[in-house]
Amino acid sequence: MEVSRRVSARAILLGNEAIARGIVEAGCLVATAYPGTPSSEILPAVAKYADELGLPMSVEWGVNEKVAFEEAAAASFTGARACAVMKQVGLNVAADPFMSIAHYQLKGGLLLVSSDDPGPHSSQTEQDSRYFAMFAKVPCFDPATAEEAREMVFDAFDLSERFGIVTMLRPSVRVDHCRQDVQEKITPLRPGPVKFEKDPSRWVCLPAFVRINHPKLNQKMVDIREAFEKEFAKYNYEVPAKGKATLGIVASGSAFAVVSDILKGAGRDDVSILKIGTPHPLPVKMVNDFIARHDKVLFLEETYPVMEMQLPDRTGIMGRWNGVVPGAGELLPEVIAGVLARVLGDDSLVGGAHPLLKEAIEELKILPRRPMLCPGCPHRASFFSIRQALPNSVNPSDIGCYALGVNQKAVDTVIDMGASITASSGLFLAQKAVGEEKPVVATIGDSTFFHMGLPGLVSAVYNRHAFVLAILDNATTAMTGGQANPAVGTKLRKGDEGKRVDIEGACRGCGVEYVRTVEAYDVAAGKAAVKEAWEHAKSKGEPAVLIFRHPCMLLRPEQPSIPVEVDQDKCIGCKFCINFFNCPGLVFSEEKGKAYIDERFCVSCGVCVSVCPHGAIRATSGEVE
Amino acid sequence: MQYIIVGIGGQGILFAGKVLGAVALEKKQRVTGSEVHGMAQRGGSVISHFKTGDFISPLVRAGEADVLLAFDQNEGIRNLHFLREGGAFVVNVHDRSAFDNLKLKEFLEERRISLFPLEGYSLLKEHMGGNFLFLNVLLMGAMSGAGVGAPSLEDTAAAVKTLSPAKFEDANMKVLKLGYEAVVKK
Repeated sequence: MEVSRRVSARAILLGNEAIARGIVEAGCLVATAYPGTPSSEILPAVAKYADELGLPMSVEWGVNEKVAFEEAAAASFTGARACAVMKQVGLNVAADPFMSIAHYQLKGGLLLVSSDDPGPHSSQTEQDSRYFAMFAKVPCFDPATAEEAREMVFDAFDLSERFGIVTMLRPSVRVDHCRQDVQEKITPLRPGPVKFEKDPSRWVCLPAFVRINHPKLNQKMVDIREAFEKEFAKYNYEVPAKGKATLGIVASGSAFAVVSDILKGAGRDDVSILKIGTPHPLPVKMVNDFIARHDKVLFLEETYPVMEMQLPDRTGIMGRWNGVVPGAGELLPEVIAGVLARVLGDDSLVGGAHPLLKEAIEELKILPRRPMLCPGCPHRASFFSIRQALPNSVNPSDIGCYALGVNQKAVDTVIDMGASITASSGLFLAQKAVGEEKPVVATIGDSTFFHMGLPGLVSAVYNRHAFVLAILDNATTAMTGGQANPAVGTKLRKGDEGKRVDIEGACRGCGVEYVRTVEAYDVAAGKAAVKEAWEHAKSKGEPAVLIFRHPCMLLRPEQPSIPVEVDQDKCIGCKFCINFFNCPGLVFSEEKGKAYIDERFCVSCGVCVSVCPHGAIRATSGEVE
Repeated sequence: MQYIIVGIGGQGILFAGKVLGAVALEKKQRVTGSEVHGMAQRGGSVISHFKTGDFISPLVRAGEADVLLAFDQNEGIRNLHFLREGGAFVVNVHDRSAFDNLKLKEFLEERRISLFPLEGYSLLKEHMGGNFLFLNVLLMGAMSGAGVGAPSLEDTAAAVKTLSPAKFEDANMKVLKLGYEAVVKK
């Protein structure tokens, strides 16, 4: 494809928007994703940009990452450029097709964007997607900035077509969620022709074909490594020290950006850096040459030692393997500064908290605020109803905002997407084996239910597992910022109509006989429904489904405003509301020993009126002040 | 310039980074910053980093921020270690008594930190019918009022105008000025 690039003005974009522009500008025809922090903003930005430019792209949320990746992969079989976008744990879900597609001699360019979350900030693991690239034998680009990420999208597509292999772009959270000035527009490439040509040896992964393709894949790795050694100087380059270097640093991604700023700020120009933008397959000759020219070499990369691992001999370098770099957590400026201080013997590099400030914070009892469900969140009411209806129940939950139900003592297990249902089955099976019958009430969101809940539900119906599944339907994929899903039915591109998939109908179709829906804000009805559902599950020996429905507060639904107050005479300071309702708008004054409404956060949903066992929370008469 | 903006998820702190970015772009400065999205954003502590000038990483290092803009005083105090010596602390105060803490006073003095407090919630109750959604614009006004190398009121106003819906323009301009004056006259 001919690259026609016209430089225009600069714009400030979120890293994810810059990546989205790269995807559109590189002539991608099919883009799919499942939302997940920190990758969620990419696909909506692709759709918006394609709409602005009037391009005929297909842009869709897949119901999960496996679906999204398989759709993109098959689209590339036709010669179209295609990409799938997900977060690092989403790639676990898409691992099955990713591993096998790696062996294919692809036709159109296929890009996988897998965003990592070192820290982690919003994930159940801080796994390194580059490891997955190594596992699958797939090349990986690791951007240090938003602008570089966008540029890499072009090269990843080109490399994919040149070698007929899926390529990975691995931005980390600091690239996805940076806001940076970048080139505003690049003239998009024109997509090539689309045609599927039948060829079972190419598109069918029978073992006989795999035995031929695997050695070819190995050869591709050799050839791509060679290409990374020689042709990608814009991503793999040395920032030399002034004079003889006291230290050499091999760095990739966000760690490169951070260490560069630290050294510059500290005026340490006696350190040279080898920046690597293609960590797999590692350009080993280039790295070994750098190592040979330095007495001391430090490796900085997130989150796993992927570059270190590819060295034929890493005993001479400092990194994660020998504990110089911490084995977990994000490489924040303070962490890297600490490592540098030790390696360079320069204590001035360490900042450290001021003792006076530390003491002040202790005296003022200021603690970091834990994430909490938003004021007015319908999940809070649902969790309260469940916990109060069956206080002795076990409550598996799932991935989404509602994992924060842990604050209300209404979440006992969370594993991954869909595991609320399968964990309920597992708990049921263990109890059944010893003749016990403790209630199990699981919670799952609408999007997560369709993502990976359905197989577990079918299994529970088939095998007769008795538990209550509460589906918290807030009409959006809330945690990741409010994306549509099958229960909503809308799609990303203008004029592209979807079809709503009915949750009740889906459950009945799976063979669930008890399916009821309640208004989540109605605590009395919710409590009664939970008890009834459990009675059904227990007596019939099968799962019962209860749908708690109320729109997410992020959708700003129209609803009655019910200002509330805490009657200071009636409040006995038992903290029941704090422990089991846990709303930012309802807080406890240690000084007075009583609860009160924090008007900074209260949204007057009125639900807490039904929470206090002493009737101390009541609707105020008249207007809010 | 390096800024740290802190608050609680839901207070609208992402807007501050967008305004700073728009102002810097207008001045043809290079910018980079880091935001919080996802679970970390839900009602918990949130932090945005923002830098103008010749930087690669969007992250501000502890002890190097020129300005700390706090939508919540507790989050502000908890993140004071980000400020450089002589930096500016613009803070939305809901409980003045915290600032009587002697250790805190001593710390601010020793680090020569200029304190620009404003009682944002009271101001919005008094002037905006208690609509706390204007807190972000109010604090942007306060930051320009504080000076300290932050964008001028005019530049901030222009950026707020381009970044928010036209129907809020009058109210936004009123709130911006309110924040500016709350700090500048001190």
